[in-house]
Amino acid sequence: MAAVELEGVVKTFGAVRALDGVDLTVEAGEVHGFLGPNGAGKSTAIRVLLGLLKADSGRATLLGGDPWGEAAELHRRIAYVPGDVALWPGLTGGEVIDVLARLRGGLDERRRAETIERFEFDPTKKCRTYSKGNRQKVALIAALASRAELYLLDEPTSGLDPLMEKEFQQAVLELKDEGATVLLSSHILAEAEALSDRISIIRAGQVVQSGSLAELRHLTRTTVIAETARSAAHLAEVDGVHHPRFVGARITFDVDSVHLDAAVQALAPLGVRSLSVHPPTLEELFLRQYGEEATA
Amino acid sequence: MSSPFTGTRHLVRLILRRDRWILPAWIVGLGGTITASALAVPSFYDTPEKVAGYAGAVGTSPVSHLMSGRQAGIDTLGGIVANEISQVAQLGICLMVMFLVVRHTRAEEESGRAELVRSTVVGRHAATLAALLYGVAAALVIGLVTTVSMLAVDLGLLGSVTYGAGLTLLGLCYVAITLVAVQVATSAREALGLAGAAIAVGYLVRGVGAMQDNALVWVSPFGWAQRMDAFGAEQWWPAVPVVLLTAALLGVAGWLTVHRDFAGGVLPARPGRPRASRFLGTPLGLTLRLQRGLLIGWAVGLTALGLLYGAVMPTIPDLVASNPDIAEVIGASPDVEQALTDAFLRYIFLFMAAASCGFVVTSVLRLRAEEESGRAELVLATGVRRTSWMAAAAVVAFAGVLLLTLLMGLGLAVGYAVGTGEWDRVVEHVGGQTSYLPGVLVVAALAVAVVGLWPRRSLLAWAVVAFVVVQVLLGETLRLPSWVDAVSPFSHLPEVPVEDFDPVPGLVELALAAGAVGWGLWAFRRRDVTTP
Ligand SMILES: Nc1ncnc2c1ncn2[C@@H]1O[C@H](COP(=O)(O)OP(=O)(O)O)[C@@H](O)[C@H]1O
Ligand SMILES: [Mg+2]
Repeated sequence: MAAVELEGVVKTFGAVRALDGVDLTVEAGEVHGFLGPNGAGKSTAIRVLLGLLKADSGRATLLGGDPWGEAAELHRRIAYVPGDVALWPGLTGGEVIDVLARLRGGLDERRRAETIERFEFDPTKKCRTYSKGNRQKVALIAALASRAELYLLDEPTSGLDPLMEKEFQQAVLELKDEGATVLLSSHILAEAEALSDRISIIRAGQVVQSGSLAELRHLTRTTVIAETARSAAHLAEVDGVHHPRFVGARITFDVDSVHLDAAVQALAPLGVRSLSVHPPTLEELFLRQYGEEATA
Repeated sequence: MSSPFTGTRHLVRLILRRDRWILPAWIVGLGGTITASALAVPSFYDTPEKVAGYAGAVGTSPVSHLMSGRQAGIDTLGGIVANEISQVAQLGICLMVMFLVVRHTRAEEESGRAELVRSTVVGRHAATLAALLYGVAAALVIGLVTTVSMLAVDLGLLGSVTYGAGLTLLGLCYVAITLVAVQVATSAREALGLAGAAIAVGYLVRGVGAMQDNALVWVSPFGWAQRMDAFGAEQWWPAVPVVLLTAALLGVAGWLTVHRDFAGGVLPARPGRPRASRFLGTPLGLTLRLQRGLLIGWAVGLTALGLLYGAVMPTIPDLVASNPDIAEVIGASPDVEQALTDAFLRYIFLFMAAASCGFVVTSVLRLRAEEESGRAELVLATGVRRTSWMAAAAVVAFAGVLLLTLLMGLGLAVGYAVGTGEWDRVVEHVGGQTSYLPGVLVVAALAVAVVGLWPRRSLLAWAVVAFVVVQVLLGETLRLPSWVDAVSPFSHLPEVPVEDFDPVPGLVELALAAGAVGWGLWAFRRRDVTTP
């Protein structure tokens, strides 16, 4: 049974159509990446799933139940981390972790202690003194410290430093090993790629792509920009290289991640003067996939 | 060139843009109330006999002195108008500048917006200066409106200008007090608490000083403003201490700005508990914990108010005895003393009940702050039902104001006992204060309904409080049409102790309150939770 199902869900705020017929399925036990640029409707979709917002039309199912009608019962089985965490300025981080976990229906003392240690978190400070990253840690620790069947994580790493992000990824993989389901929203492709079994891409309130990483392999190409002493024309023939463009001594091309090694081998003998390699941003992806339509 | 004040103009523009509704609402609400009173009063005193009657009755009334101070020229039409409006005008202008200044300093820092602004080119003192200019401008407008409406009924140029100037200076002084409070406090709420306490102290000290006719009035900005003696001798030198105090406070605020961290207070934050206490595991426990400070602040303030009023009550017979005028107007007998004391007590009950409306609405509207900040979302994504979450806030507001009511009554009784050594008024005072509680609960229930039904119009709940306060303080002055009085929950309750207690109206109001709460809960279950 699917843990999460949205079918043709529409949600409008006045003139803004935040969700425009969203279809989304998250199978039980998978880590599902929910990708989309800012303003695409990720948070709105998650809030509909939480029964905080009422969909105008369409059907939403959460763990087999109706998120609007049975919100409180369902919430005992899930954990949620919002994108921008606001806390009570007068309570300490430790107090908030306890409160949220207890209100959810239970606190696993061992997990609480472990996660606090893992995220190097000081629970004795008042929340008003925490940075965005630390506020996010509070919500993350509270979510991880109570066992849930489903974790709804809305851009949970946007305030974390790289070291903590690594810990976060490790924690998500452990949840998956325990058999939990994770819906992880992000606007960074690489993050979703590192953790997800399957990915759905949302854009302007509609899910435009959905599938396993292998199926979406074309989305995970790397962009390479190189300046070489000798002509790099023959790179166009290397397996996995797409859209080569030449401007003077500079070549720009996209390459499937599995063929990155071959492409770099081919570049090396040409006398590389400068080299930059980056994964495509979502915006670039959309430009590539949908051309002008995406920017409109 | 960048100075500590760079960017002030920019910030002022930003403030005016953000407050394009709030500022006009204050000016129309407060200025309109003042104007309406100024225009209404003269028609009731259209003969010299009526003016003399007012001077004899109200001008010698201890209640009037306590609430409005000793107004100069009370035997002239100008003095009467000034006396009638001064309670609302003085308290109103102080509350206005307090809310406006905190809103654009401390609250702004907390929202994080200020950080965004400050990362652009903005001088260190620009935010303080912008708030100062804004607060002073708002006070000036209210002062002007007051003067103009007094001129409109021909109360005399010098008197009208002096009165408006005194009012403006009082506002100016509290702008500076609020700016210091903002720097000392660790949060916007704390700043409001400190500045609010300063207003209460200034108002009460002046009242007691005026009632006992002693030098205490000279300790309070309220006293200074009043002793400019508009419509009397018209002296401007009391403006000097106001301006000096303001300047000194501004200096302190500026010094504190430099010596504290951004978004921090002067007092350093201490480490707290790493674990939550057992009580924090339920919506009710959490709400209680979050409103603990609010409740304690109000409890201290209102208990002190009760103590003070209780303590001055026994002096009423002496004041009557020492003043043959009163006896002349009302007739002298033990009954007169009793009637005066009863009238005093009734007014105090009503006044304190109206004041506690401020607590219930603040308390209930915390729900909106929770929603708008995103903290409600965090809680409502756990196993907490929406109705439990909202009901917890209603319970805290209702139970909290019950506690406040008992404390106010006890304060009266204890204050009275301190003055007389007689401890036999506890039941009378606690019971009397409680007889006005249903009116407060109706106001609280309406606030709950507003949160459920019209979440984006939560200011409506404050409009209800403003209406109740105007009805209580100015109902007789304005001679409001009877249907307006009929809307106020307090006008249906028996005027204890002047009238006998009758439980029926109170019970009906309780039922109405329960209905309004139910309506709010019902509506909240059906609407979107506001998310940031
Ligand atoms: N409460 C709201 N009122 C009005 N518009 C909203 C509200 N919440 C979201 N939106 C709009 O809906 C769209 C989707 O927002 P959101 O779901 O937050 O996107 P994401 O989380 O993908 O960045 C945006 O255009 C946003 O401005
Ligand atoms: Mg979002």
